Amino acid sequence: MKSKQIVRRPRLSLIALATAAVVAGGPALADETSCSPFTPLIKGQEDLVYVWTLGVKGVGDGSDKLVTVDVNPKSKSYGKVIHKLSVGGRGEIHHVGLSDDRRYLWGGALDSNKIFIFDIGTNPAKPKLVKTINDFVEKTGFVGPHSFIAMPGRMLITPLSNKKDHGGETGIAVYNNKGEYVSHNAMPKEGGGDGYGYDAAINPQKNVFLTSSFTGWNNYMMDLGKMVKDGEAMKRFGNTSVMWDMKTMKPLKVFQTPGAPLEVRWSWKSGDNWAVTTTALTSKIWVYKQDAKGEWQVKDVATIGDPAKIPLPVDISITADSRGMWINTFMDGTARYWDMSDPMKPKEVFNKRIGSQVNMVSQSFDGKRVYFTSSLLGNWDKKDKDDEQYLKAYNWDGKDLKLAFEIDFYKEKLGRAHHMKFQARDLSTLKPLDSAQSALPLLAQSR
Amino acid sequence: MDFTPPSPGSYRLERIQAAGDGAVLDSAGKRRRLAEFTRGRVTLLAFMYASCADPNGCPYALSVMHQLKNELERIPSTRGRVGFVSLSFDPLRDTPAMLALYGAQHADGRHVPWDFLTTRSRRELLPILKDWGQDVGIEVDRATGKALGTYSHVLKVFLVDRRGAVREIYTTDYLLPAMVLNDIKTLLIEDGLALR
Repeated sequence: MKSKQIVRRPRLSLIALATAAVVAGGPALADETSCSPFTPLIKGQEDLVYVWTLGVKGVGDGSDKLVTVDVNPKSKSYGKVIHKLSVGGRGEIHHVGLSDDRRYLWGGALDSNKIFIFDIGTNPAKPKLVKTINDFVEKTGFVGPHSFIAMPGRMLITPLSNKKDHGGETGIAVYNNKGEYVSHNAMPKEGGGDGYGYDAAINPQKNVFLTSSFTGWNNYMMDLGKMVKDGEAMKRFGNTSVMWDMKTMKPLKVFQTPGAPLEVRWSWKSGDNWAVTTTALTSKIWVYKQDAKGEWQVKDVATIGDPAKIPLPVDISITADSRGMWINTFMDGTARYWDMSDPMKPKEVFNKRIGSQVNMVSQSFDGKRVYFTSSLLGNWDKKDKDDEQYLKAYNWDGKDLKLAFEIDFYKEKLGRAHHMKFQARDLSTLKPLDSAQSALPLLAQSR
Repeated sequence: MDFTPPSPGSYRLERIQAAGDGAVLDSAGKRRRLAEFTRGRVTLLAFMYASCADPNGCPYALSVMHQLKNELERIPSTRGRVGFVSLSFDPLRDTPAMLALYGAQHADGRHVPWDFLTTRSRRELLPILKDWGQDVGIEVDRATGKALGTYSHVLKVFLVDRRGAVREIYTTDYLLPAMVLNDIKTLLIEDGLALR
């Protein structure tokens, strides 16, 4: 795309076919938060934040919904909810992902197994539900569609569970951009694999993607307090992560990363060659890197907080230059900034309590604006007065987080605030071709 | 970027979607069906417009297709089994006559036909774009609202098997000549062609 705000990643350098056994290419730019490398990025000021929000009985209409917030400081409605779109019912909605052209947003529900596709290109300020996928379990045998990572013309989906026993064994699935099933593969159980899944992150420069692992429906739908007292349930968490060949969609290597490795991110810095995750139950940072022989290896490089207190590291957000990373710890509601300039020796250099609980974090491309939301899972969020539900926006100057605005999602009768994605209003100035018949004379004049 | 693409025939390309059909014009101005170009052979199809100047867009796809064509021309057994299509999404300016001139610069060679197609109108073009999943926007001057004569689009190149199924889709970061070549060979091997 050519919008001033939307930038495409630089193309790969041309290669000579005759000698191209090994492909060489150009650098990659940074991500705003956790977008697929195939999705165009917003490099400037994001205009909108979509918040995928769990419905709560007795709060507003009680339905799961996509909430649109104006986040451009120059706007009259800055810091306000400008649109909400209920999808009907409560299905334990969780994460969202942008399509390869940033014109559609896919959102999943971990309990109902529905996948909602929103048109966010025609009018970004007023998303429209254009399709609901209801055949995910039937087509794949998996349960709990979690992450949505755009690949060209299609969406890579990582679920959490399976329909057979609602445990943690699962796989990966692909649907095309029309929302039609394409394929699915089981998570490996060979080579040390436990078959569990959670998130995925793609590195096209290496023709690989990395997946992590969490737990199945039986656990993520259970009350957290009950689960932690259930010894058997606590054994049913993923302890592995897997490197896959992106072209063949086959596993390359299974890594032992005990304690539920959750979000995975690649360094976006040119020339870098590492990925990172954190383990929720063991409170570790793990870095994946190729050794001198080109084989992928993993190493736990640091400890987050006091693991004995189970701070529960959840979402992470790596900076554009990959020199820093936000790590949220849910239980103490704290955002922690880690210096990643040496990824093998990261250091926590800042922390701040955001609320009674904090889960997701998304930062702007330049890292100057950081957004936090509160909800982890419907049955895992804290209770009573500690069940704060919010979107909080901060300005980050490299030394301190300064609150820019906050929205109380209960006060606004919205629900539990979960995953976020950014959007630019500029897309609306790139008029869709099919609404531009009146532009034909203009086009003729411009010649 | 550094990896060795998996060797041809060592992997399966999934059926992603059906290749869309629609009424098109060839560079002689003759009415044709798009399906005529995407059945019975392996086809590499790119949406484009001739005046595109974005180095990461249509010109990049064109250069990659050139490299692939040159390589395939060296494999005589691919004759009649592979074809290229460039389909314009700018029917106002990319007339058949215009594309005949434009295509003449690119479509030389003996074994691999390269057709440059357009449509009679946007009315006939739009369902094709929708069916294939190619986003195209008219770029306008924000101050005046006037069209700038350029289009925003995420570059997409489609690999279609001989039964008319899209088996791979490439955007700019994924359009790697060596990998596309192996994908084409993989489909040819699937059809029983012995490639050496």
